[in-house]
Amino acid sequence: MEPPLAEASADRRRFLGMLGLGAAAVLGGPALAACSRRPGGTGSATGADAIKAVLPAQKPMNPLAKPDIDGVGIIPDGYLRYPSTLVDQITEKPGRGGTYKAIAPWWGPTPPALGDNEYVKAVNADLGATVDTSQQDGSTYSDKLSALMGGRDVPDILVAPNWEVGKISRFADGVKALFEDLTDHLKGDAAARYPNLASFPTSAWEYSVWGGRLAAVPFPVDGPFAWLLYYRKDLVDAAGRKAPTNIDEFYRFGKEMTNASAGVWAFGSVFSIVQSMYRCAGSSESGWRKKSGGGLEFKYETPEYRAAVEFTAKLFKDGLVHPDVVASKGADEKQLFKGGKIIVYQDGGGAWRGMQSEQLKVLPTFNMQPMPLFGVGGDPVLHGTERPIFWTFIKKGTPKDKVEEILRILNWCAAPLGTKEWELREYGVEGKHFTRGPDGSPAPTELGRKEIGSQFRFLTGPIPSVVQTADVPNYVQDLLGYSNSHIKFLEKDIFAGLKLELPANYAKLNTPTEDKILDILRGRRPISDLDVVVKEWRAGGGDEGRAFLEKALSDNGR
Amino acid sequence: MTRSSLTDPPGGTLPRADRPAPSTVDSTVRMGFTQRLRRDWPFLVMTAPAAVLVVVFHYVPTLGNVIAFQDYNPFLGDSAVGSFLASPWIGFGNFMVLFEDPAFWDAVVNTLSITLFQLVFFFPLPVFLAILLNSVVSGKVRGFVQSVVYLPHFFSWVLVITFFVQMLGGAGLLAQVLRQHGFEPVAIMSNPDAFIVVVTAEGVWKDLGWGAIVFLAALAAIDQQLYESAAVDGAGRWRRLWHVTLPGLRPVIVLLLILRLGDALSVGFEQYILQRDAVGRQAAEVLDTYVYYQAIVPQQWGVGAAAGLFKGVVGLILILVANRLAHRLGEQGVYSGK
Repeated sequence: MEPPLAEASADRRRFLGMLGLGAAAVLGGPALAACSRRPGGTGSATGADAIKAVLPAQKPMNPLAKPDIDGVGIIPDGYLRYPSTLVDQITEKPGRGGTYKAIAPWWGPTPPALGDNEYVKAVNADLGATVDTSQQDGSTYSDKLSALMGGRDVPDILVAPNWEVGKISRFADGVKALFEDLTDHLKGDAAARYPNLASFPTSAWEYSVWGGRLAAVPFPVDGPFAWLLYYRKDLVDAAGRKAPTNIDEFYRFGKEMTNASAGVWAFGSVFSIVQSMYRCAGSSESGWRKKSGGGLEFKYETPEYRAAVEFTAKLFKDGLVHPDVVASKGADEKQLFKGGKIIVYQDGGGAWRGMQSEQLKVLPTFNMQPMPLFGVGGDPVLHGTERPIFWTFIKKGTPKDKVEEILRILNWCAAPLGTKEWELREYGVEGKHFTRGPDGSPAPTELGRKEIGSQFRFLTGPIPSVVQTADVPNYVQDLLGYSNSHIKFLEKDIFAGLKLELPANYAKLNTPTEDKILDILRGRRPISDLDVVVKEWRAGGGDEGRAFLEKALSDNGR
Repeated sequence: MTRSSLTDPPGGTLPRADRPAPSTVDSTVRMGFTQRLRRDWPFLVMTAPAAVLVVVFHYVPTLGNVIAFQDYNPFLGDSAVGSFLASPWIGFGNFMVLFEDPAFWDAVVNTLSITLFQLVFFFPLPVFLAILLNSVVSGKVRGFVQSVVYLPHFFSWVLVITFFVQMLGGAGLLAQVLRQHGFEPVAIMSNPDAFIVVVTAEGVWKDLGWGAIVFLAALAAIDQQLYESAAVDGAGRWRRLWHVTLPGLRPVIVLLLILRLGDALSVGFEQYILQRDAVGRQAAEVLDTYVYYQAIVPQQWGVGAAAGLFKGVVGLILILVANRLAHRLGEQGVYSGK
């Protein structure tokens, strides 16, 4: 503890005095309001015609014969037998020895890094380049994304999920400032140099245009449903019960399956699916729909949403939701579900196959299934989109030959089912990461599960298809059975084909409003407070968003 | 302590030790620059790394505060610096947004209540622990206890909170034991009213031992002869504690108190963000999480900088006031008042 220093502190005091003046000026701020302006962008919309002009020409390509089960509409086709011979599709090495940093989301334990990962080594060897993918927690990815972009510190290859970009204000400005314009590389027939990318459906490319320029490579959607409601069919069967078929049964089911003293609760997170059951809107910019008298209304403003909030709050109140899910942001619902601690939870379509395959090794009776959905007072309204799952951006300032190298690598990553590249990307090296079953289909080994994450699989996807493998028997029938029977409930996106950059005031409302609704769901605020929340939402930017979206619709004649 | 030595001008700190009386200042001034440099260069070299750290990580980023007065768009201009120049100036627009937002004031109130609560229920504890440890004669016992209470300081908040959830959470040890014996468990970790106690308990568990280190050092510096004289004069155990130990600790306590007050609007970040969903925004939103959710996530950088500036200014005012108060009470405080 040295004594403070006389002279220096006198200087410091003068300095502090100056700061004090600054403080006074700040606190006197309202007086200066007259010459102040509030921050925030006003948003922008790109019309459908401007988008059509820059799209690649589609050239369908599929090395496989007719599928065993046709997918309805945008549902991928299903194959019940793994292809016996694989095509070596890309004979020339796509890479030229370049080294690229990539960042992609991943929902699972982080696989070992580049140096200790045999899978990454094997794929990089086949690519002839070094792609070093950092995999970031998918559930908080928008936070990472906004920090990376705000700091102008983006990697060579950046993957952005479609549901995250709307949360970032001025995303279009960011795309222009930070990412390479790919129009000249991919427009029209230029795309033919990357045949796998050129095979993507045009609808996927339509969404990859910002400011009239093609700015990203899409990952075509492989399942249109935003959420599935998974349940542990094995445990439900063992308890002698059946999946519920209406909302009252759903509640009773929750009561019957909860056994708190044994550490088992019926539900994890289910609110999004409950909204679908109550027929809330959710597909169009997360919840707009046309009012019968003209104009738009958001889900918060509808009686359907209020009913869904009431029902979900009751589930929390009556103790049917696992306390860890109640108590934390990062409750690992997948772990709880695997362990049979929760019976029902909502998750994306991507969760199913991996978990089923992994858990069958642990528990031979393990059987997770999507619960057939029902509506309250009509058919359920399922939320989803035809937008690409991810967009892959290339850092601005990358030299032309490097951009081409990256595009060739992405083309490799998009190799479809039936190629050797597809198998290497999905399953790794035979004998190391997977073994081949009697039917020729790969089954991942322990090493495969550990090492394979989203390193290459999320950089861009192939044209979607699903194939049966021995590690998940019946998966293709189950998935396509569910998807084909539920596609008719999918709500249409009224903004489909438009590129919307939402006003900043509206975009920033998302988290605060959802927080308030969370308070209501958890019983920390009464249901009646929903009116207050909606009022605050409208005043804080909701009405501004509505006016913007109504104009975008009318400008495009919808 | 660390703070005051860090913020001193690099050249001035060290030579001062060898010129205690003001009369020698004149001779220093008369010395030429080269002479002084020749004499002091080892000190300058030794201070350089710290000075560079302060400049690079404190002073340079401070310039970024200009975005509090801009509609800052990081994507304008050609570079990070270019975007400062290209972003439009909007006067106090960001502050208007901030001060009109009830959620901001909720966060300020939460932060201040937590600070106050912790000043009363957390701040004194390390003093007690230090006195307690200091009175333990056996070196072995003392060493053991010290290691045990220091250890949690090195755990991350994620670990600490997971530990608390596993113990006291709705599906934790306590709740399951109660359930198995037919009792209805009480919600501890997800109860907004208990939140302030829970975070303080977590803080105490994690940092109690660490906080005691400074006081232990100060205790060691108290002249043993004072105790002996007091004992000779017939002072008992409590009298000695009251008249020797506590006055000996007082400068340190006051110093740390002032520094803590300057940080009144920062109570931590991870600890709160991790438990925010459990108890809700209304209980767990503190200024730092507010900035994160309102500014960083939706990229309202200007508003975030405005909140940061507000925090800095309030902290500064609190330090000045507390320091003046300390002088009134005859303490030296963080810096002297002359």
